[in-house]
Amino acid sequence: MKFGIFYELSVPRPWDREAERTVYENALEQVRLADELGFDQVWCVEHHFLEEYSHSSAPELFLTACAMQTKNIRVGHGIVVCVPQFNHPVRIAERAAVLDILSGGRLEMGTGRSATWTELAGFRASPDDTKKTWDEIVRCLPKMWTQERFSHDGYAFSMPSRAILPKPYQKPHPPMWVAVTSPGTEIDAAERGLGSLGLTFGGFSDQEKRIAEYRRRIKSCDPVGEIVNEQVNTVNFLLCHEDDATGIATGTRLAGTFNYLASQLLSAREAYPSRSYPSLGLLPQLRREQTSPGDAPRVPEGLCIGDPARIVDVVRNWEACGVDRINFLLNAVETVPQEQVLASMRLFAKEVMPKFAPATAAATAAAGGN
Amino acid sequence: MPLAGTLDISPLLAAAPEMLDTSAEPWEIESVELLNLSFEIDDRYMTALLPPALHPVIPPTAYFTVARYPDSPAGAFTLAQVRVGCRASALPRGFLLRAYVDSPRACDELRTKWGYNAHVADVGLRVFHDRIVGVVNDGGREILRASLINPEPISGGDVQYVSNLHLAKLADDGGSGTLIQVDPDYRFHRADRGRPQIETFERDAWSAANVAPVFPIAATFVLCDTGFPKIRYVIDPSRPAIAGTRKVAG
Repeated sequence: MKFGIFYELSVPRPWDREAERTVYENALEQVRLADELGFDQVWCVEHHFLEEYSHSSAPELFLTACAMQTKNIRVGHGIVVCVPQFNHPVRIAERAAVLDILSGGRLEMGTGRSATWTELAGFRASPDDTKKTWDEIVRCLPKMWTQERFSHDGYAFSMPSRAILPKPYQKPHPPMWVAVTSPGTEIDAAERGLGSLGLTFGGFSDQEKRIAEYRRRIKSCDPVGEIVNEQVNTVNFLLCHEDDATGIATGTRLAGTFNYLASQLLSAREAYPSRSYPSLGLLPQLRREQTSPGDAPRVPEGLCIGDPARIVDVVRNWEACGVDRINFLLNAVETVPQEQVLASMRLFAKEVMPKFAPATAAATAAAGGN
Repeated sequence: MPLAGTLDISPLLAAAPEMLDTSAEPWEIESVELLNLSFEIDDRYMTALLPPALHPVIPPTAYFTVARYPDSPAGAFTLAQVRVGCRASALPRGFLLRAYVDSPRACDELRTKWGYNAHVADVGLRVFHDRIVGVVNDGGREILRASLINPEPISGGDVQYVSNLHLAKLADDGGSGTLIQVDPDYRFHRADRGRPQIETFERDAWSAANVAPVFPIAATFVLCDTGFPKIRYVIDPSRPAIAGTRKVAG
């Protein structure tokens, strides 16, 4: 099991001069600490126009800053919106390659297609087309990175032969992922040899079934790149505290705040009936499951909130479901004070991470080795 | 935290529907034809359109709906509504500004049982091969003409409609007003999607002076079984819905 951190970079109103800067500075401090503590990866999303929920419209810049301030932690560019109205595919390949070079080969490349009407309409992209364009672009990216010159004549874009430069530092190219929110997208990932970057919270039994199907399908995949990335990555909240009740109370407040912000946005499916969006996607899924706000709230299954012992149990459950990596959302609109976020990370690294250290390292340590 | 409504509802209460209670028995109606158009609206007024209990959707939206109910305990009728998209806490809803119905009897029932701010007018739903048109005429004046252009079949499973919230006066709310949640189920038999187009929208006739459709989203026309359900929740319009929602049934 590997652990990472995950950023939406949500910013509380009012957006005065310092509000956004504070969120970014706090995040960078967390990333530096994560690197010191042995977290494996930091992911940052790409979103546009999502007021308060995510002010992360240029993740490649944030991740470059992360890479420049750290030594080991891998940088997860994801997901990059593979819709041509948002990003020309050549620019995606170029930016990713530069980030891979500057980070010394630490790039993880996440791909996806956006799930909000707020964003899609903002760029005048049709929800009907995004699956198709994602599929086309995700097949082109490895070729852009590995071929000396690249040309293409497709639905999403066309171009004459050009050398797309620079090339990534990792060879043959960085590991690739696809965001998985809608049921069935894990099959899209498996059939293309892509890692499954799960963006749903909680629900052991449902996730276990989906992961099992992913593992089964990827055995016979037709990889889009030159390597198969058979990994299941998932997202969670983290609030680790010595006192279980305090951890649960603060963690529930964190999760609730994030979910509340998410639900104010307009999902693609809610706005625009389309076969291309068969499920509600991440944002509405985050709405509390009760029928109305008058119903009693509940603590969702599978969240990493509470004391270390509780979190160890939750992580073991995810491990048993087949998850390889968990990425943690640490804050939302700064609802948790920065010192408490840092303390939570330190406690997690001290009490939880060692329980999931690789077997070889554990055996070496047990034998008294380095 | 998210933006919240700033609408002062006190001027609206004088004309708000009056309900004795929330105990109306549900109406289940088969073969309802329903035209729904959604638009993004001018965001300068996004908070001014909603009571403090509700959050605006980002981007702000409005729904224009015309539905023909071929049979009901009040007989056949056609109902037109204009609603503003919103969130009650985290949940998607449409706040009703005004409705028109072509049957006085149905109008009375909808006002007193479900809190619709409904008024009698001529309401029509016309189905052509290249468009479906909803029209409302009040006293000889056309106040709404809304069309779905170029219908194409889609799956009913892809269609999603938001539940209603109605500002009404309940006998036990002391005259301060109550938001009535009306959340019918839909069983779709057929669905079409097309481009939404509004030819006529007399905003004053819809209590919608600040509702300016500025960007089309989608139009759907469905054949479905639906109705008017048992009321399950009511909301205090002056408090955030997350704190001011009360379960009354179900």
